[in-house]
Amino acid sequence: MKANTLRTLWKRHRGMSISLPGLLLAAYVLLALAAPLIAPQNPYDPLQIYGWEASSPPGTIGGAGYFYLLGTDGLGRDILSTILYGLRISLVVSITSTVIAALIGLTAGVSAAHFGRWVDVVIMRIVDLQLSLPTILVALIAIVTLGPGIDRIILAIVIVQWATYARVIRGIALSESGKPYLDAARLMRLPTWRVLFRHLLPNSIAPAITLIPIELGHAVALEATLSFLGLGVPVDKPSLGSTVANGFQYLMTGQYWISLFPGLALFGLIASINFVGEGVRRNLDPRSRSHDA
Amino acid sequence: MMTTIIGRLSQAALLLLVMSAIGFVGIHSVGNPVYNIVNIETATAEDIRNATIALGLDQPLWRQYLLFMGKVVTGNFGTSYIYHLPAFDLVMSKLPATLELASIAMLIAAPCGTLLGLLAGRKQGGAIDRAILKASVFALSIPSFWLSMVLILVGAITLGWFPSGGRGPTVSLVGQEWSFLTVEGLRRLTLPALALAIPNIALIARLARAGTIEVESQDFVRFCRAKGLSPRRILFRHTLPNISIPIVTIVGMQFGGMLAFAVVVETIFAWPGMGKLLIDSIQLLDRPVVMATLTFVSLAFVGLNALVDLLYAMLDPRVRLST
Repeated sequence: MKANTLRTLWKRHRGMSISLPGLLLAAYVLLALAAPLIAPQNPYDPLQIYGWEASSPPGTIGGAGYFYLLGTDGLGRDILSTILYGLRISLVVSITSTVIAALIGLTAGVSAAHFGRWVDVVIMRIVDLQLSLPTILVALIAIVTLGPGIDRIILAIVIVQWATYARVIRGIALSESGKPYLDAARLMRLPTWRVLFRHLLPNSIAPAITLIPIELGHAVALEATLSFLGLGVPVDKPSLGSTVANGFQYLMTGQYWISLFPGLALFGLIASINFVGEGVRRNLDPRSRSHDA
Repeated sequence: MMTTIIGRLSQAALLLLVMSAIGFVGIHSVGNPVYNIVNIETATAEDIRNATIALGLDQPLWRQYLLFMGKVVTGNFGTSYIYHLPAFDLVMSKLPATLELASIAMLIAAPCGTLLGLLAGRKQGGAIDRAILKASVFALSIPSFWLSMVLILVGAITLGWFPSGGRGPTVSLVGQEWSFLTVEGLRRLTLPALALAIPNIALIARLARAGTIEVESQDFVRFCRAKGLSPRRILFRHTLPNISIPIVTIVGMQFGGMLAFAVVVETIFAWPGMGKLLIDSIQLLDRPVVMATLTFVSLAFVGLNALVDLLYAMLDPRVRLST
C-alpha cells in the first residue's frame, strides 16, 4: 500500500526523456565535483595566485603560464577557477538546506495533521505567518538574528523553506488520515512514529516531492542574494553570489568579466534547476499536465 | 467569521511578540556596535565604557528588552547609533523613495505581464505561447542582483543612456520628495524599476496566460466568436475582464514582495530607500534601525494580510458563512 505511490511516481518519471536542462544540471554537478581536478588554479591557495596579474581581461596569458580564459579578479584569482570552486559552495549550501528543510517541513506537516489540536494550531500559525511574509524578509530576519557564517546561511534557508513543505503535506495528510488503512494502523496500536513515518508520510509525500526541485532553485538564488548583500558566506571562500558581489565594484571601471561570468554561471544553474523542476511538476501533477500541454 | 479573524490576528500578534524576543536576543549577540561608534585607534577603555553606557548596552539583556518593548508600544524604537535620529522617523523618511520605486515598477509590470499573458494564452501551444512560457522561466531564474548588474552594464556603461545609480534631484509634492516629476528623476528610476519589474512581468504573464486559457474555452467566448466579433475584441473586451480578479490579487501580493525585494535593487542602484537603509544598518550594527525596519515591515504585512482576509469575507458570502 504505502510503497505504491512512490513506485508509480518512479515509473512515470522513468519514462521521461532526458532534457537539455537536465543535461546542463548534470554537467554543473559534475563540474562542481571535479573542480579540484579541472580548475586551472586553486583560488583558496595564496601561493598559486599572482597579485600583479589582477584584473586581467579574458584570454590573457599570465606570467606563470596560466591561461586566464575568463580573466582574473581584483586579487588576481582566475575567474574560471573561482566559478568552479564557488559552484561547489553554492551547491553544498543549497542542497544541504533543501534536504534539511524538506525533512523538517514534512515531519512538521505530518505531525500537525496527525496530532491535530494545539500541535496543529501552533505549527500552522507559524507556517501561516511565515508564508505571508516575503521570503527575502524572513531570510533577512533570520540572518540578522543568527549572525554571519556558512552554517548560519544554511539554517536561514531552512527557516525560510520548511513552511512550504509543511503546508503542502499537511493538507494531503489530513485527507489521508481519515482513510480506513490509517484507522487500522491506529487500532493495531502501532507506535506513533510508525503510523507517522511508515503509513501517513509515504502516502502523502508525492505532491510534496515536486516542491523539492523548485525549492532547490530558490535556495541557490537565496544563498547567492544573501552572499551578494554581504550577509552570506565569507569572502575568503566565495560562493557564486559573493564572487559576483566582489566584481560589482569593478563594474564601473569597465572590468565587466569579474561579475558577468560568475553571474552567468549562476543564472544557468538556477535556470536549469527551474526547467527541470517544471518538467518534474508537469510529469507528476496530472492537473498541470493537461493544462500546460 | 469576525471571531476567526480576530482570533487569527491575536495569534499572529502573540507570535510576533515571541519572534521579537528571539530576534532581540539574536541581534544583540551579533557583534558589538560600540566599535562602530568610537574611533577604534584613539579610544581608551574609558571611552568605550562611556559609549556602552550611553547606548544602554551595560544593562542585562532582559532589561534592555523590556525597555525596548516599553518604548515600542509608544512608537519609539530608540535612537539610531549612527545617524543620531529617532529610528522610526528615519525609516519613515526613507519609505517614500521605496514606495515610488515599487509603484513605478508595478506600473511597468502589470500591463506588460497581462498583455504577454493574453497573447500567450490565446493560442495555447503555439509558437508565441511556447516562447513566452520559456522566457518566463528564464526571467524568474535570474537572481535580481545579477539582473540589476546586467542592466547597469548594458543601460549605463555600454549604452550610456541611463545613470548607474543614485536618486538625483527630487521635487517636493505633498510634503515628500519625489523623483518621477522630473526627466532626470525618471531616467534614474528606469533601470532600478526595470530590475524590479522584469521578474514580475514573468509572474503576471504566467498567471494571465493560465486565466486566458481557462476563460477562452468557455461557452460565452464561443458565442462571441459565432457572433463574428474580431479576436482582438474578444480578447480585450471579454477575456480580459474575466481574468482581472486573480491578476489584481497577485499585483497586490507582489507589490508587497517588491517592497521587500527592493532591498537588493536599492543596494545596487544606491537608491536611498528603506531597503538600502536596512542593509547598511545591518552591516553597521545599527540595532535600533534594524529592529524598527523589520518590525515595521512585518507588522505592515500581517496587517495587510488581515485586511485582505476581511475584504474577501465581505465580498464572498461563501467565505463569510464558513465557520
